[in-house]
Amino acid sequence: MANEALTLLELNKRISSLITVASTQNVWVTAELSDVAVRGGHCYMELLQKDVERGTTLAKARAMIWSSLYPRIEAQFYAATGQRFGTGIKVMVQVSATMHPVYGISLVINAVNPEYTMGDLLRRRREMLERLKQEGILEMNRSLEWILVPQRIAVISAPGAAGYGDFVNQLYSNPAKLRFEVKLFPAVMQGERAPETIISALEQIAAQADEWDGVVIIRGGGATSDLVAFENYDLAVHVAQFPLPIIVGIGHERDVTILDYVANMRVKTPTAAAEWLIARGLNALDGLRRLGADILQTVADRLSGCKERISYLEGLISSMSTAAVQRNKSKIQSNLLALASVGSRRITPELARLNHVKDVMSSSTKMAIERKNTRLNTISELLDAISPQATLRRGYSITRINGQVVTSVSQIPQGAILETTLADGTIKSTTNN
Amino acid sequence: MANQPVFTPVKEMTYTQAVAELESILRMMQSEDCDIDQLAAYTRRATELLKDCRSRLTATDEELRSILADLEK
Repeated sequence: MANEALTLLELNKRISSLITVASTQNVWVTAELSDVAVRGGHCYMELLQKDVERGTTLAKARAMIWSSLYPRIEAQFYAATGQRFGTGIKVMVQVSATMHPVYGISLVINAVNPEYTMGDLLRRRREMLERLKQEGILEMNRSLEWILVPQRIAVISAPGAAGYGDFVNQLYSNPAKLRFEVKLFPAVMQGERAPETIISALEQIAAQADEWDGVVIIRGGGATSDLVAFENYDLAVHVAQFPLPIIVGIGHERDVTILDYVANMRVKTPTAAAEWLIARGLNALDGLRRLGADILQTVADRLSGCKERISYLEGLISSMSTAAVQRNKSKIQSNLLALASVGSRRITPELARLNHVKDVMSSSTKMAIERKNTRLNTISELLDAISPQATLRRGYSITRINGQVVTSVSQIPQGAILETTLADGTIKSTTNN
Repeated sequence: MANQPVFTPVKEMTYTQAVAELESILRMMQSEDCDIDQLAAYTRRATELLKDCRSRLTATDEELRSILADLEK
């Protein structure tokens, strides 16, 4: 079979003419950038469409910007978004499909709408911030308190970068010779690897967190300002939850990344971070100076106060002793006078009263004795009248045998010796029968 | 003679603790309770704290040189 075959070039030209039609020319399309590279002034890249849920690639196309357009487009884009073309950036570009016989199908970009990128960036950042807030970690690093004078600073930066050098120079050239301890934890500070290397540096620092007072994340400086890499949720989570306060100095004055929202502090430049730390130290030195001066002044005041008081007391004591002697003398004098007048005023009537009492007492005593005597006499007469003696005198007698009183004849045995008591004596007699 | 106060060794204190003690010494000195017998002891203590705090904050030229040399390695 003698088939007529096309050359590959002919086929490619056919394809080219088929796709180079009005519906594929100057079309606005939204896509995500990947593998951006500039060669020979032209900018080459891949445009991607990803599945929002799963992140898988749904569509992919090669694209480029000719060197005649690239510098202008790039500058406009950067001016409007603060971003360079780079992986992960969402763009709205005006493209025309082309087919090159050797290089195949490619989309040639002739215009970019920066507003779309800006809107997408802000929307994504808003979403991340909202999520961090929901998770309760948005304010965590921001609410950490710095110690009074942070001196031990862990720095995350690209080694050998100008920004790190600026930071260290600024820190160590401070005129007050404030002491700082700085250690670099290297990380890639641009491009796709930035988040993972920064997170790994943060983890190293966290492992020795009690050796550091705070963390400074600074960019190397340089021209490319690929900030999209920092718009990373995982990185934001690590910064927000970091146990030490973090200073972020990765943007420029105008450029903000999500880290600026979650870090304890944001500064515009590495130098500004150093200045803030120095200011903190100078402030503390000032405080010490003030405290020292205040203490000195207080001690001086107290001592001079004490001296004044002592010399006042000295004067007081010498004048007081003579005054006290004088005062006591006159007091004794007046007491004497008072005593004298008390003597005449109080003692005389007392004496008179005593005399009177004496008279009254002696007369009343006499009377009382007489009264008692009279009474005694009466009683004595009475006693006399009823006494046995009186009875005996009237002729009665008492008969006893052996001292026992005899009241009946039957009590008297034969031959008993009777004792008979009369008024004037006792006789003994013996009975016969 | 009043009892002499007992102080924590400065080396065992943090900077913040040292400054807090300086402030409390100042307040105490300014109050009427301050015993003149203890004034000397507190002044000595304050001087010691101030000196230590300052030396923690600042480095000597020699230290600075060695730190910078380390950083350049």
